[in-house]
Amino acid sequence: MKHFWQWPIASYLFLGGLGGGMLFLVGVLRLGFGFSGFATIGGVFWALVALAFGCFLLVFELGQPPKAIRVVISATAIIKWGAVLLSIALIAGFIYAIFYVDFLCFPLGLGAMYGDASAPVSNVWLAIAAVFGLAVCVYTGVLLSSMKARPFWNTPALPVLFVVSAVSTGSALLALTMCTWPLASGAATPAVLASGALQHEWLHGLDSTLVLVELLVLFLYLLLMATSSNVTAQKVAKRWLKGSFAIPFWGGMVACGLVIPYFMYQTTGVMSTTVGPILVLLAGLLLRFMIVYSDDRRMLPGEEKYYKHLPKGDEEFLNVWEQGKNLY
Amino acid sequence: MTRYAMVIDKRRCIGCQSCTVACRTWNDLPMDIIYNPVITEGVQGTWPNVHWTWTPTLCNHCENPPCVPCCPTKASQQDEDGIVWVDPNKCMGCKVCANSCPYGARDMNHKEGYIRKCTFCKDRVREGENPYCVNTCHQKARIFGDLDDPESEVSKLVGSLETETLYPELGTNPQVYYIPDLGGQR
Repeated sequence: MKHFWQWPIASYLFLGGLGGGMLFLVGVLRLGFGFSGFATIGGVFWALVALAFGCFLLVFELGQPPKAIRVVISATAIIKWGAVLLSIALIAGFIYAIFYVDFLCFPLGLGAMYGDASAPVSNVWLAIAAVFGLAVCVYTGVLLSSMKARPFWNTPALPVLFVVSAVSTGSALLALTMCTWPLASGAATPAVLASGALQHEWLHGLDSTLVLVELLVLFLYLLLMATSSNVTAQKVAKRWLKGSFAIPFWGGMVACGLVIPYFMYQTTGVMSTTVGPILVLLAGLLLRFMIVYSDDRRMLPGEEKYYKHLPKGDEEFLNVWEQGKNLY
Repeated sequence: MTRYAMVIDKRRCIGCQSCTVACRTWNDLPMDIIYNPVITEGVQGTWPNVHWTWTPTLCNHCENPPCVPCCPTKASQQDEDGIVWVDPNKCMGCKVCANSCPYGARDMNHKEGYIRKCTFCKDRVREGENPYCVNTCHQKARIFGDLDDPESEVSKLVGSLETETLYPELGTNPQVYYIPDLGGQR
């Protein structure tokens, strides 16, 4: 069966979720829990990088990238609303970042409001970025779950799974960002380090909880699909649990991507601060790939066999025909 | 108002694939795109009660096509006569419509970067001719016409025989009707 969407879309869904989840998380942590410093500006920076790179991959996957501008025309298409949400999240996040990046802030005449002095204004932009970041996470799931033709995607549980995974991967990248910060910024005063360590510890607690929630949602999702009345959804769920996807699922996603990082988060040192978050990020990417490649549609009796028998394009009889040397 | 539809009589189809070849030729399709596969499960039953059924397929030109509202550039569109088609000048090749179609009737033309699909040969039918696959079918298994015209053959067949459509539970209301190979009498 043909997979219309390939690795760029899987990566785009991952990066969109990661960036959106991170913006949401940074917004909640700053506005709700008083996080400050690099936890917020570093988080927003990497979220913007993820979203921008995701957008690039989306355009890269298009058959005719120059026509991407036409995406604003339709009012009904989910992908159009995704583009709008992504743009707003990117713009709001970028404006928030302007207040904290001196080489952007000063030329724009915002010098007087540079850094934490700008908090009342910049927090509004962060709140907008956070809300639209969460909307982007939901959108990546809704884009797939709206397709009735793909039974394994067509469930409201998919946006839930994607949102949980997005926030979990966002939290992992934020933890990674924070562990590199004092060295990178040169602001390693004891007070700053202590505050960073406290925030870091808090974030680890959050991430290990999110990993457990993701594990639970993932199993519920598969249970839902395996017991679905739709034969195609059942077939794909079986492929995940004991078919050709079983090794990446059990070994890659469940064991290496969720269970092992959970136990790593309970320790201290490099396993907890670096390896664990990296594994969670890889699990998020693997999840999007496995979901995108589970795009089976219901086939008519004999349809699968028909497509299996078609030439792949590199057969000898096709090539000699094209080269004008037909011998048949 | 005109409402184009096709009736496929599975009692008549012998699986010669002439319609597939004719369509490829008329539409100058690239090697990896087929608008109208003719598929089969092979021989069914136990001797001497055996039968072999063929199912010619194509775009169902659904009354509620899921492939149209999902298009972000409005390249995928439906005309008043029910024909669903893609404007290559507007299509950006995002493939959302191909994923939305439950019948696998759309495919990506990778060379030119846009989606291609069966158009019911709209340029021919609007000049009063039949789609090329209908013209080619020597068994007269494909019948094309205006469903809103009570005198048309398709209208009479759909009205008098027990026809079926593919995946009716999806609510797409396909405009390709099949007369089953065994039965079909009301």
